[in-house]
Amino acid sequence: MTNTWYLYVFFAAALIGAGLLGLLAKRNLIKLFIAIEVIGKGISLLLLGTGFAKASILTAQALVITYIVIEVSLVATALALIINITRHTKSLDVRNLAKLKG
Amino acid sequence: MILQTALLIGVVIFSVLAILLRDLLKSAIALAAASLLLGIIFFRMNAPYAGVFEISVVAGLITVLFVLTIALTKTGEEVRESRLVKWAFPLVFIAFIVVDALVMKSLLGQVPALAAGAESGSFGEVLWRARTYDLVGQIAVILAGVFSVLALFRKREKHD
Repeated sequence: MTNTWYLYVFFAAALIGAGLLGLLAKRNLIKLFIAIEVIGKGISLLLLGTGFAKASILTAQALVITYIVIEVSLVATALALIINITRHTKSLDVRNLAKLKG
Repeated sequence: MILQTALLIGVVIFSVLAILLRDLLKSAIALAAASLLLGIIFFRMNAPYAGVFEISVVAGLITVLFVLTIALTKTGEEVRESRLVKWAFPLVFIAFIVVDALVMKSLLGQVPALAAGAESGSFGEVLWRARTYDLVGQIAVILAGVFSVLALFRKREKHD
């Protein structure tokens, strides 16, 4: 059973790593948010993989469904914020947000 | 097991593509493909409800939201990414994978054994009885999301 667990945790860590690198490297706001989504995929894979390996898949499933529901409202809010930011700064570049002058 | 590994590799490849592709629309579609593969993995792990949610909500609804946002925020000028990213991202990612492969097994060995009590009953019982407070939290979060979107898109009133 440990081997299956290892497989899922390994790929979950790869997804989370890719998302973190994307967050560090990219400048486009939508790209940054896609990186956050990739991290979220890694987390749900981690939860379900551990639940599968430890024979408690039902609880893991309930947690993942909770996470997905939360993710949807997170996405809606964040994308609304991105639209508003783009209207103000006229670009999608995250470096424009560092300027304190309105 | 082999099919599962291939699906997992596909998820990682599509996720990396979603981050690396320059065209925003293409990267949104790559993200949807990764979600689709992840949903198939969930189905094969005997977690059909999570799979259905992943495919219908994440691969469907969230992709629609992304495409809508990309259409609404077209500014004409492209965001210039730093040149370092083009070759540094794959290199650092491969290094991360190597470290992951070397370290993760010993790390997993150090995790104290979780209590693996066998579950009984159906998924519905677990969701509605054991995790009732999660559902209350979900309702609160959805309400908070609705109110925040309303607050972000409100119209300016005349006397402002």
